[in-house]
Amino acid sequence: MQESTAVRRDPMTAATARAQSRVGRFAEVGLPASGVLIGVLLVLGPFLATVIRSLLYWDRDQVSLSLQNFVGLFGDPRFYQAVGNTVICGAGATICSCLLGFSLAWIVSRTDLPGRRWFEIFNLVPFFLSPYVGAVSWIYLAAPHSGVLSRLLNQYLGLPDDFIRIYSLGGVIWVLSLFYTPYVYLFVIAPMRQMDAALEDAARVHGASFWYTLRRITIPLLTPALLSSALIVFVTSAGLFDVPLALAAPKGIRTMPTEIFQLVQYPSDLGRAASFGVVVMIVTVLFTILQRRYIDRRRFETVTGKGYRPRLVQLRRGGRFAAWMLEFVYLGSGVVLPLIALFMVSFSRLWTGRLDPSVLTTHNFEYVLFGFKLTQTAILNSVYLAIVGATIGVALAVLQGYYLNRGSRRRRALVDSLLSLPLGIPGIILGLGFLIIAIRTPLYSTLAIILIAYIARFFPFATRTVSSMLLAINPELEQSARASGASWLQTMRYILLPLLMPAIIAAWLLLFVIFIRELGATILLYGQGTETISVALVILSEHSAATMTALAVVQLILLLGAFMLFRLTRASLLQA
Amino acid sequence: MTRILTFVAACALAILATSAFAQVPALEGTSPAEKARITALIEAAKGEGAVTYWDVVIQPETNDALTAAFRKYYGLPDSFKVNYQLLATAALQTRVEQEVGADKVTVDIAAIGSPSWVFERAAKGDALEYDSPQYQHYAKSIESGLGKKGFFAFNGAYLFVPMWDSTRLDFKGKSWKDVIAAVPAGRMSLGDVSKSAAYLATYAGQRKVLDVDYFKKLSETKGSFLVRSEQIASRVVSGEDLMTFTGMPTRAYQNNQKGAKLKFIFPEEGVVLLPQNMFILKKALHPNAAKLWIDFILSEQGQNLIVKGEALISGRAGFKSPLPEYAPPIESLKVIPIDWEKTSTADLQKLRQEWVGMFNP
Repeated sequence: MQESTAVRRDPMTAATARAQSRVGRFAEVGLPASGVLIGVLLVLGPFLATVIRSLLYWDRDQVSLSLQNFVGLFGDPRFYQAVGNTVICGAGATICSCLLGFSLAWIVSRTDLPGRRWFEIFNLVPFFLSPYVGAVSWIYLAAPHSGVLSRLLNQYLGLPDDFIRIYSLGGVIWVLSLFYTPYVYLFVIAPMRQMDAALEDAARVHGASFWYTLRRITIPLLTPALLSSALIVFVTSAGLFDVPLALAAPKGIRTMPTEIFQLVQYPSDLGRAASFGVVVMIVTVLFTILQRRYIDRRRFETVTGKGYRPRLVQLRRGGRFAAWMLEFVYLGSGVVLPLIALFMVSFSRLWTGRLDPSVLTTHNFEYVLFGFKLTQTAILNSVYLAIVGATIGVALAVLQGYYLNRGSRRRRALVDSLLSLPLGIPGIILGLGFLIIAIRTPLYSTLAIILIAYIARFFPFATRTVSSMLLAINPELEQSARASGASWLQTMRYILLPLLMPAIIAAWLLLFVIFIRELGATILLYGQGTETISVALVILSEHSAATMTALAVVQLILLLGAFMLFRLTRASLLQA
Repeated sequence: MTRILTFVAACALAILATSAFAQVPALEGTSPAEKARITALIEAAKGEGAVTYWDVVIQPETNDALTAAFRKYYGLPDSFKVNYQLLATAALQTRVEQEVGADKVTVDIAAIGSPSWVFERAAKGDALEYDSPQYQHYAKSIESGLGKKGFFAFNGAYLFVPMWDSTRLDFKGKSWKDVIAAVPAGRMSLGDVSKSAAYLATYAGQRKVLDVDYFKKLSETKGSFLVRSEQIASRVVSGEDLMTFTGMPTRAYQNNQKGAKLKFIFPEEGVVLLPQNMFILKKALHPNAAKLWIDFILSEQGQNLIVKGEALISGRAGFKSPLPEYAPPIESLKVIPIDWEKTSTADLQKLRQEWVGMFNP
């Protein structure tokens, strides 16, 4: 009896084992592949929708396949104005961010400036703040005739009170530069630390001056990192909707994102908006390809693994003063002054351009947090989107990262390139693509479509963070586990995921921060009850400065909270 | 026995219901037929549980007051939701057209100061036909082309006029023409006609009394182009602009309540009155609640709350404005006559191009 039972059990065990093996194989191959597939669909879906919509032309009720939308676009002088202004903004912001980012990174990593450890942390703070809130704060600081700074400059230096032209391309470039400097800073600080100081020492020993050494040795060594960051800053700043909306639109200065937004507004011309989007996507895809090339070069040329510890430059009194001044001007302009402006306005019942103690109130905060349905809904929606979006985004990133680093080598480069495309596509264009997809479906005006758009736009950031960590983990660890009988899922659960945890946390926090402040994609997709904090800020900026700034402070607290978590978990961007 | 119990229970329920409705202010002094109509609407609205309206003027605080009064007026429970969204004119038009086009209507009522567009919506069949009993009090306004019988009246009208901060500027002008030289170049704001249907409608009216050369001169003042009336007023209060060409008395009132010193004129050439036409969308999710909302807003009580909160000009016959300085009776204004129903979107687009050609915003 026992024998027959054993005989009967054997085939069952074998079948179970075969089934488990099939499940294991499916998990090992299928899960990463499904992550990639979802990523590809998220990229290609809005892209194809935008292309198809750009080719559909409506003449009264007749629709036809035509290039008429492109003909109309290229025949419109506003298109060229918008493109020209966008290029100026992008190039200006890139140059300024590179100069500032390089200088700040050099100060904290290569000099003996007292307090540089603190500056190292604080230089990253603008990365976590909303550029839109920054732009609005700068209006309160530098608006002609009423800005706090404008008045002070007029009062104490006798400068005209419209000396600072914040509503201009210069104003846009200034604010963009403040918020994109950390991108350059992050890119160059690591290679700056790893640089072989012997090259600089050799130059100095042979009589080269400090500036000559900087120009001929240091900067050329960092060129790949600088170019990589410059490309990212150019593409992302040129595609940013928020800052031109606040600073360029009031003076009728057109930029590409504001023009696309305008084309979607009544009387809307979705066809022309889509054709504009297609043109921009083609250009940005080219930029992304360029950027990838440079990133590849950077990895090849600078990560040598030798672990140099560069000699710190001993700053003289003048140099120390200049370095401090630069830090104070940057942190003052990017963090301190905007915060002061925000607090002054948010605690005032009526903003008259100066702080009036007789109109101070906490009512705006009470109203935003407890009395106004729009802001309450927006806060809840943003937190929900950030938590759920970051979680899904990171899950996708882990699967995609695994595929790109451990999966089949075939088509890996192509997949990697494809999955990187959203890095270069402006949020408003991706939002337009998803609007075209969703407009006649139940997804229209829902949080779900906003969530999908967020993930589609930003998952490459998480994928790159996870991928860079995966690169550093030797596959032998996983192979040992598999050789010892662990299944793929067990290997992932007990070996790889614990090792990846710092990168997962870093990627999650990065996405959380980005989603809390995102505006470009949301502005075209939100509906009644699906407003986010950034959308509410735009709505309120047109209605009430006081409640808008109070909400901005709430957003700021959320973002700074994420920054603190970043530091506490030791999963800082620098490590990632 | 069971029949007797059922009868007693039914009677008790009827008495309870009658006593409950007896406390409903909306039913007081109404005819039996009207009472039955309102009672049916209230019951249906309770089933719908919410009403959603979008507006381009009404501020959140006024909405709060309207919502509380609306619930009380019809005896609706606190759980009954009034969803409200404040949008710019173009944004409201975009969203309504998107929702109608997508056949996914989430808004019940749209209230907007773009009369030509609302007439077009009614003509295209996007508006629900509803002959509110309150329309009888708006007969004169409707006859003068500010509403359409069976479809819409307006919850209040507004206008754009020159406005300034009296602590910074001593302006004594009386005409639109006096505005041009009133402030240095770059110190005046203008409503952006290229982006807003309300400013476009105003421009359409102004062009009937002011020629193109006037606007060419105005464009030389190098003003800032803004969309929202609140933002325009804030910039005048903060001193960023000394004057605005398109100030809204509503915003002057609201800012002055907080301590500002804004002043405005009704220029002698006339003003363009923009009725905030309220219409129910044909595919509204809560049509019964929407009908109640329309009735309430157009009632004496609703108008009183709106005028007190927003300083809008009421079109209700015999209504005495509580804020005559900011919201004078229509009869006292020199209104530039425009036939909004015959002014098509295409006509307005031509005027928009003309304005853009001069101002290049």
